[in-house]
Amino acid sequence: MADLLKALASEERMTVLRSHFDDLPMGFFVTNCDGYVEYLNDEAAKLIGFESTLEAIGYSLYNVENIINCGLMDAFNSILTGRTFRKEELHCTNRQGHFAILNLYCSPHRGENGEIAGIFGIIQDVTESSKKKAELEEAIYELSIMSQVSEALSSTADLDDVVRIILTGVTANEGLGFNRAFLFLAKENEGYLEGKIAVGPTSPEEAGRIWSRLAGQKITLREMLNDYSQHENDSNSSLTTLIAGWRIPLDSSGAFSEAINLGRGIHVFAGEHTHRETTDILTRLGTESMAVAPIISKGRKLGLIAADNNITGKKISDSVVELLQTFANQTAVAIERSRLYDVQVERARELEEINRQLAESQDQIIRVEKMSVIGELTSSIAHELRNPLTVIGGFANLLVSTGQIDDAAEYLNIILSETHRAETVLHQVLDFSKASRARTRELQFNDLVVETHGLLLSKLRRDQAPPVLQLADENPHIWGNPEQLRHALYQFMLLTVEELTSECTIKMATATENRQVRLIIGFKGREPARAKVVTTLKQIFGNPTGTQKLSILVAGETLKYHGGDYGVEGSQDNLPRLYLELPRYTGGEND
Amino acid sequence: MIKVLIIDDEVHVRKLYQEVLSREGYQVTAVGTGGEAFAALNESGYDLVILDIELENDSGLNILKQLKSSYPGLPIILNSAYAVYKADFHSWVADAYVLKSSDFKPLKDKIKELIHA
Repeated sequence: MADLLKALASEERMTVLRSHFDDLPMGFFVTNCDGYVEYLNDEAAKLIGFESTLEAIGYSLYNVENIINCGLMDAFNSILTGRTFRKEELHCTNRQGHFAILNLYCSPHRGENGEIAGIFGIIQDVTESSKKKAELEEAIYELSIMSQVSEALSSTADLDDVVRIILTGVTANEGLGFNRAFLFLAKENEGYLEGKIAVGPTSPEEAGRIWSRLAGQKITLREMLNDYSQHENDSNSSLTTLIAGWRIPLDSSGAFSEAINLGRGIHVFAGEHTHRETTDILTRLGTESMAVAPIISKGRKLGLIAADNNITGKKISDSVVELLQTFANQTAVAIERSRLYDVQVERARELEEINRQLAESQDQIIRVEKMSVIGELTSSIAHELRNPLTVIGGFANLLVSTGQIDDAAEYLNIILSETHRAETVLHQVLDFSKASRARTRELQFNDLVVETHGLLLSKLRRDQAPPVLQLADENPHIWGNPEQLRHALYQFMLLTVEELTSECTIKMATATENRQVRLIIGFKGREPARAKVVTTLKQIFGNPTGTQKLSILVAGETLKYHGGDYGVEGSQDNLPRLYLELPRYTGGEND
Repeated sequence: MIKVLIIDDEVHVRKLYQEVLSREGYQVTAVGTGGEAFAALNESGYDLVILDIELENDSGLNILKQLKSSYPGLPIILNSAYAVYKADFHSWVADAYVLKSSDFKPLKDKIKELIHA
């Protein structure tokens, strides 16, 4: 450099400069303090836009803005104060209007006494390498977005999440960079595509707001998703509204059907695709050009992604259409997986339900088996007792009918009374035993009550007032053994009627609650009937006689066996009432 | 005199029914098996049969079928401690079904009804 400075100071400096820099593969120039070019090589002349080096000599680079138009006026002037500057990747348009990306290095050169004598400058054209670098960065970022899309898709099985991730990837500024993206899902069985969701701004103003906020940010897909969910909900939803409910036939000759039938993405132009359906779509979306990519998995038509640049008008290249197809392929896999996941979840739920029902059935079978065994046992015991009772009672009757047993008459009557009582008990046990052999099934509660009430009416004596029956509007279903339940309801009805019908009016009413059905046996009457009701119910359910006890025991256990219960509760008129309740059956959904 | 044949495997039941129905003025024969019943019927005609179902070595319903086949017009009352056989199709060919009880009124009424039918 010292030699160079000396040469510059000498008369022969031009010779020296030429010998050093004429063939340099980068531009080199020297100006005086007024900016007038004293020397520049061919490369510098070309980059600045001079026809030849001779044209540049005597030209002032102070008019740099006019020359390379890159906003360096101040920086250039600052060199004359002794500073240097180094600017890389300047986007410039030279004096002939050619665009180039330049690296520019300038420093002052000094005279023999150290004074600033002018400017050295080196200009390097990095247009190609810059472009390649930018392309490489873009490719890396696209790959990164693709990778993030893949990663995000593998982390969710929710179809809504899947489509949102895909469309965000399609519209990410440095992903595919489309302005808007639309997803249509196929209703293959019904033969049409249906608009599902859309992502993107609805107007240039909105696009400006969004893009200026995101400008220059190399954000991840997850950050984009979060940003979209925070800021673009309204626009996305209004864009989604634009396509919601659209139905596009799968078998038409339009562009969407064409892409699906081809199985690959296509570029749709307003002028080229003149099918009415296609022009309708373009018109409704307010665009003249769009890329569409079918979503197909194993030959199944799952849907289609459409994307456009209606805000920026950026041309859609073939490579971007191919990339959109890659997104669509990923979408196909994700949708298929999401559907499989839903199927698996549904099957798991069904299996759980079947398992629950199986466990319930096993429990039921065990209980039914137990009841059946008890029924068989009581039946055989009862029958074994009936014959001896018949004989004992029969002979006692014979003796009494002879009229010749005055001394033993009292005892024989006791034998007859107790025999009658034992036979009544046997009758009840045998009824229960018979009921145990019936099968459980779905029943309608009101019907069961009506049948039982009818049976009760047929058994009433003339002096017993028939109880009033009031049915709820709804006839809820229950599950159980009809014979056992009829027997149980009948026993409770009979108990109250036999003890209280002469005292008061009895009303039997069905009622439905959330998970229970009820038969309520209520009483109406004035004093002393009211007191009698209280006393009688206390006696029946607090201190029952032997026969009552057996009836309540068998009937109560039957209700409990069916998941129900019984009891005495207060009513609005302060008279106690009897309730019998059973669980409502909802078609296998009972807990 | 109206002749009644009783078929029951329990000796005390046979004895009781003989006493009760004799006092009603019937001529009563009581046997314990189906074989004895057919022997009695072959030997002498009867106006009515009272048949138990659960016999020790036989089924009353089988005997009922054979009796109805051999003596179609002979009234037969099934008389059992078991009510469940009422629902058995095979019992329906009997003319009546009366549960065993120390109260003989239902049985006596049914005999009168069938004899005078």
